[in-house]
Amino acid sequence: MKKTLLTAVSAALVSATLGAPAIADTLDDVIDRGVLRCGVVLDFPPIGFRDADNQPAGFDVDYCADLAAALDVDHEILELTWAERLPVIVTGRADVVFGATSDTLERARTVGFTIPYAIYYAQGVVGADSGIETFEDIRGKRVAAAVGTVPEQEWLKIAAEWGEEDLYQGYQSENEVFLAVAQGRADIGITTNTAVLPITQQYDNIIAGPRMPWTTDYTSVVADRKDVSWLNYLNLFVTHQVRSGRYQELWGEYVGGEAPELRIPGVLY
Amino acid sequence: MFDYNFHWRPVFRSLPDLIGAGLTTLEVAVLSMIIGTLIGLGLALIRMNMRGPAYWFATTWVELARNTPALLQLFFFGFGLGAVGILLSPYTIVLAALSFNCAGYLAENFRGGFQAIPDTQLRAARSMGMTNWQAYTRIIIPQVFRIVYHPLTNQMVWAVLMSSLGMLVGFRELSGETQALASRTFRIFEYFAVTAIIYYVIVKIILGASRLLAARLFRY
Amino acid sequence: MEPTATFFSGFQLNDLWFLAQAAWRTLVISVLSISVGTLLGIIFGWMLYEGKLWATLTLAPILDAFRSVPLLIQLVLFFNFAPIIGLNLDPFMSGLVILSIYCAALVANVARGGMQAVELSMRRAARSLGMSYWQDLRYVVLPIGGRAVFPSWVGVALGVMKDSALVSVLGYVELLRASQILTTRTQEPLLILAIVGLFYFALSYPVSRYAASLEKRWAS
Repeated sequence: MKKTLLTAVSAALVSATLGAPAIADTLDDVIDRGVLRCGVVLDFPPIGFRDADNQPAGFDVDYCADLAAALDVDHEILELTWAERLPVIVTGRADVVFGATSDTLERARTVGFTIPYAIYYAQGVVGADSGIETFEDIRGKRVAAAVGTVPEQEWLKIAAEWGEEDLYQGYQSENEVFLAVAQGRADIGITTNTAVLPITQQYDNIIAGPRMPWTTDYTSVVADRKDVSWLNYLNLFVTHQVRSGRYQELWGEYVGGEAPELRIPGVLY
Repeated sequence: MFDYNFHWRPVFRSLPDLIGAGLTTLEVAVLSMIIGTLIGLGLALIRMNMRGPAYWFATTWVELARNTPALLQLFFFGFGLGAVGILLSPYTIVLAALSFNCAGYLAENFRGGFQAIPDTQLRAARSMGMTNWQAYTRIIIPQVFRIVYHPLTNQMVWAVLMSSLGMLVGFRELSGETQALASRTFRIFEYFAVTAIIYYVIVKIILGASRLLAARLFRY
Repeated sequence: MEPTATFFSGFQLNDLWFLAQAAWRTLVISVLSISVGTLLGIIFGWMLYEGKLWATLTLAPILDAFRSVPLLIQLVLFFNFAPIIGLNLDPFMSGLVILSIYCAALVANVARGGMQAVELSMRRAARSLGMSYWQDLRYVVLPIGGRAVFPSWVGVALGVMKDSALVSVLGYVELLRASQILTTRTQEPLLILAIVGLFYFALSYPVSRYAASLEKRWAS
């Protein structure tokens, strides 16, 4: 009785504020609403950034637009920090997140992941005079990464082994990591391979650093864990992007070169 | 929409970390208050007694500190100064920005305090043979201190609240630590709810201590 | 093969326009939250002043909590809590709600102080002249008490205006967030921080000077 009352109240509240039914079916919600709410990280060139007119642009932003086009709805970009990518789904503020999100098992306890839609590996950008060439050179150096990212967590494991957690600096955004390296506040910033080229072009005193020893970053589209039909739709969307050649086209435009193979060797995904 | 499940267990497990970070918050707030009080006193005296560049320097400091957001000041001490090659650690950035801000606000409080004390007192003290320094340190400043004691306490509370901005420049005080922990488990609401309570307790402890201290200091 | 898109570009003239739009948004959220907050704050202040016992037990601790927890934490908490209870608020609305309540909590104290500043004998005189309770509030308490606390209110309002910078953490593109966006693209933190600082200063400084001059005029 109490529960039905609560549901009734919540339904009333929700329909009053949202105009949407209380049963979670994001696919229907999006189509009814006519707007797809997309979470994207915009300080992650070339995957997400703001162009010369300060408008959102990049690989992830175009993916969001493509998804909206496939659904025949408008899209709305919600700019996120790294740490906000999961909460925004948990609290229902976004329908989907295109945010270079690694599909870790820990995260999968909280949100749902699609099949991988892009693959990265972690690489450092280092100050030109930091003297870092190999991974071992990082010992005793100041390391920066963005708060709430997989590189941060992976690095902290290594730092704990080395007893160098004090030398780690966590920043709110990828951009602040780059600034920190450019200004000499940190010796190495851990980022992804795709960002290395634009960043080293932008700053005279930053050069490409060593690749990080942890595994390849399979990144997935994030959505509500319980809404399986929506996750199915998103999976289909990811495969269609590859089949239509759109994946290669956008990768070539923003990252350059051949888009990485999305299949994972040795397993059925 | 009511299907959010609260998970408090990870938060309680990291409670010791949070309390430790709370002590860092308290430390940086107390230090910035001490530095801010000394500088603020100096700025107030300069503005009342000097002319020329010194006066303009002090006035610019006070007006900038009071008329721009604390967060902007924090960014200035961080990436702003970094752009011209002055590198500070996150701890120093927060300490410097808080001290800068506190000094600006306290300078105005001190100025009000000095103005509330009649000129005749200084002259009386001098005519009794005290030096200027003695007159200030023994007669004027103790009275000023009494007048500004309440604003000083308020500023201390502000310093604690403001230090939470350290989170945005990578400083692991209470808020920064909370964010780091929350970003690992994605339990943002639960973590920040507990942190809010810790802040509340810190503020209450400061106010209580201030009241006790006042009762001892101002008995007469 | 090189990518065909470009990612960074220098500071351009139309970025000033972008900043101006953001400054407008800062102004909008500030003016709205200060208006709502002041109105609520006066009502709360009046409740604290009149309904002594029950207000002290219920309203006072709630308002006190909003003054004892950092605004940043309040914003993060509310922004993450609202969707849990089924409210779908965008960053602007979330920021507006919290800034308004925060402002109301500060104004409530100011308003109560203003009411206490009016001597009881004066109010009794007003009532014995045949004024109703509300007439007394409107024609005696408001002008006299309002004058007494007007400078404090201006201080609170300017504080809220500057604190509106914190709504940037929710993703509302106001002045501070705009400066971060531009810094990301242009990599010129010092220049942009200086421009934005000037904007805030230009909003805040004239008002605080005007309030100070009014205070002086009323005092004499």
